Amino acid sequence: MSEAALVAVDGLAVHFPIRSGLLGRTTGAIKAVDGISFTIAKGETLGMVGESGCGKTTAGRAILQLTRPTAGRVAFRGTDLVTQEPEALRRTRRHMQMIFQDPYASLNPQMRVGEIIARPLRVHGVTRGDADERGTVATLMETVGLNPSLRDRYPHEFSGGQRQRIGIARALATNPDLIVCDEPISALDVSIQAQIVNLLERLREERGLTYLFIAHDLSMVRYLSTRVAVMYLGKLVELTSSAELYARPLHPYTQALLSAIPIPDPVLERARQRILLEGDVPSPANPPPGCRFSTRCPLATARCRQEEPAFREAEPGHFVACHLV
Amino acid sequence: MPKLLEVNALETRFHTVEGVVHALNGISYEVDRGECLAIVGESGSGKTVGVLSILRLIPSPPGRIAGGSIRFKGVDLLGLDDAALRKVRGQEIGVIFQDPMTSLNPVMRVGDQLVESLTAHEALTARQARTRAAELLAMVGIPAPASRLDDYPHQFSGGMRQRVMIAMALSCSPELIIADEPTTALDVTIQAQIVELVKRLQSELGTAVIWISHDLGVVARLADRVAVMYAGFIIETATVDDLYARPAHPYTVGLLGSLPRLDAGARQTLKAIGGLPPVLMGPPTGCPFAPRCTFATDRCRAENPALVTVAAGHAVACWHDRLSAESRP
Repeated sequence: MSEAALVAVDGLAVHFPIRSGLLGRTTGAIKAVDGISFTIAKGETLGMVGESGCGKTTAGRAILQLTRPTAGRVAFRGTDLVTQEPEALRRTRRHMQMIFQDPYASLNPQMRVGEIIARPLRVHGVTRGDADERGTVATLMETVGLNPSLRDRYPHEFSGGQRQRIGIARALATNPDLIVCDEPISALDVSIQAQIVNLLERLREERGLTYLFIAHDLSMVRYLSTRVAVMYLGKLVELTSSAELYARPLHPYTQALLSAIPIPDPVLERARQRILLEGDVPSPANPPPGCRFSTRCPLATARCRQEEPAFREAEPGHFVACHLV
Repeated sequence: MPKLLEVNALETRFHTVEGVVHALNGISYEVDRGECLAIVGESGSGKTVGVLSILRLIPSPPGRIAGGSIRFKGVDLLGLDDAALRKVRGQEIGVIFQDPMTSLNPVMRVGDQLVESLTAHEALTARQARTRAAELLAMVGIPAPASRLDDYPHQFSGGMRQRVMIAMALSCSPELIIADEPTTALDVTIQAQIVELVKRLQSELGTAVIWISHDLGVVARLADRVAVMYAGFIIETATVDDLYARPAHPYTVGLLGSLPRLDAGARQTLKAIGGLPPVLMGPPTGCPFAPRCTFATDRCRAENPALVTVAAGHAVACWHDRLSAESRP
């Protein structure tokens, strides 16, 4: 793919063993991520959407090597992270950070906010001496809209939105190239979500950041992303530019997903035709043969139930995995 | 005939170690037979407390209903003794809670839970109750209902569990169903299934629904009327079309403006509402939204505006509402 890619993921798979019995023998595997390939260009925001259990969070963690992949390659600035030595990987980590979903669980409750933000500075030797560190922490807090005088407070003294700002300041501390945002707004109230999204947008423009933005809220992803990847049961089913995905979704799952999202306009809602999917997502421990969406797809044929469709470029820049496209 | 439900000046407080939390500050609303009223608001706005107070399901202590009245078909629920209230709960007013996993008994078969609520309110034999339970599961779209009666809640998926909850709420054919964020824990494709199910059942059975939500998209799909809550007050109420087309309170305007829309053409900038929701310790002074409101004046900070009708079926609590051209006298 393109040379300018900051991240190139090739055949990434993460399988979690299922152990059972007295001896804990491996009797199967949860195929959380099962062979996905895509690139993230420098400066773009790649949105990754899908329902719970589709593997989007695991994929994000596997890219950062927080969960080690079972197979595949993750090239970051041209170097494969999967085969990188631990010490080299530790140095690379400085350039890729993560913002977590739950601002309550992802900050150490026993550490002061100033310490939380200073931690990555120390780990990666970014600042020299206490004065430099204090100054950098103050700048970071101001950048994300927190008053630096609150540096000695503990996380529980902040609201959810403020805590997410602390998490963002911590991710920015080492001046990374890539930030994986794992549902950073889904735990927040609507009026606070917009504040955080606007902050993330401003930071991306000012610092030339690249985001992998993982979410289940498609309207927010459309708003934020350059391109969007749709996952279903461990596989990518569609990947294209944000505008194209919403204007002309090719995969039946994407079409159903888009039609399921309510639009805050009662007149439009009454006029809308919905594609209601039957049933639930199958278990990733025992995915159906052929196309994984075939059990719920309103258009599925015999071929779909037997043969797995390839993830291919159906139109320039528009990738899809479906026999019917 | 009296309205199905009339809530008047309801106040609920929580007496905690840190002080008195004024969760509900005198809210009034009505629900007609067969109508769907949506109550929207953010966490801590009092939307859940507001409806749980109807059935006196507020843990007490620390919670206490400090004033107001709740009339269901003309009867004041606050004056009922426990035995009479138990008859209303489940039989006349059903409840669907947010999290189906924690509101179903995990060690009891689903069929037995349905039978239990059926026989508690109706004189049925065990066999009749079981047949009725299977009918209820079929009505909410659970495949092979008779064979699923013997399954435990963990054997159902999240969406299917919520269907079981709906079946349970409908079991005694109540006239009113209170649904407390019933789709918040579900994925969008499953949420769409549940919303369509509730819409269908509501029109088939003529049940009135109070739907509590923070999702303005779902509300647009489902509701007839909407009440917007903020800091324990109802700050705006209108028909669903009116509220989305002509929001009058700056908070409602802000809430609608802060949502990215799937159908929007070019990329718009999100209009975030600055600041944070207020802490509800101590009695409120002034308009609760004033600290975050761009139109706030000295009067807003000193005097709390009452909910006043500004157009047919449209009431708003604001000194500078966006519908009236000028500030109110």
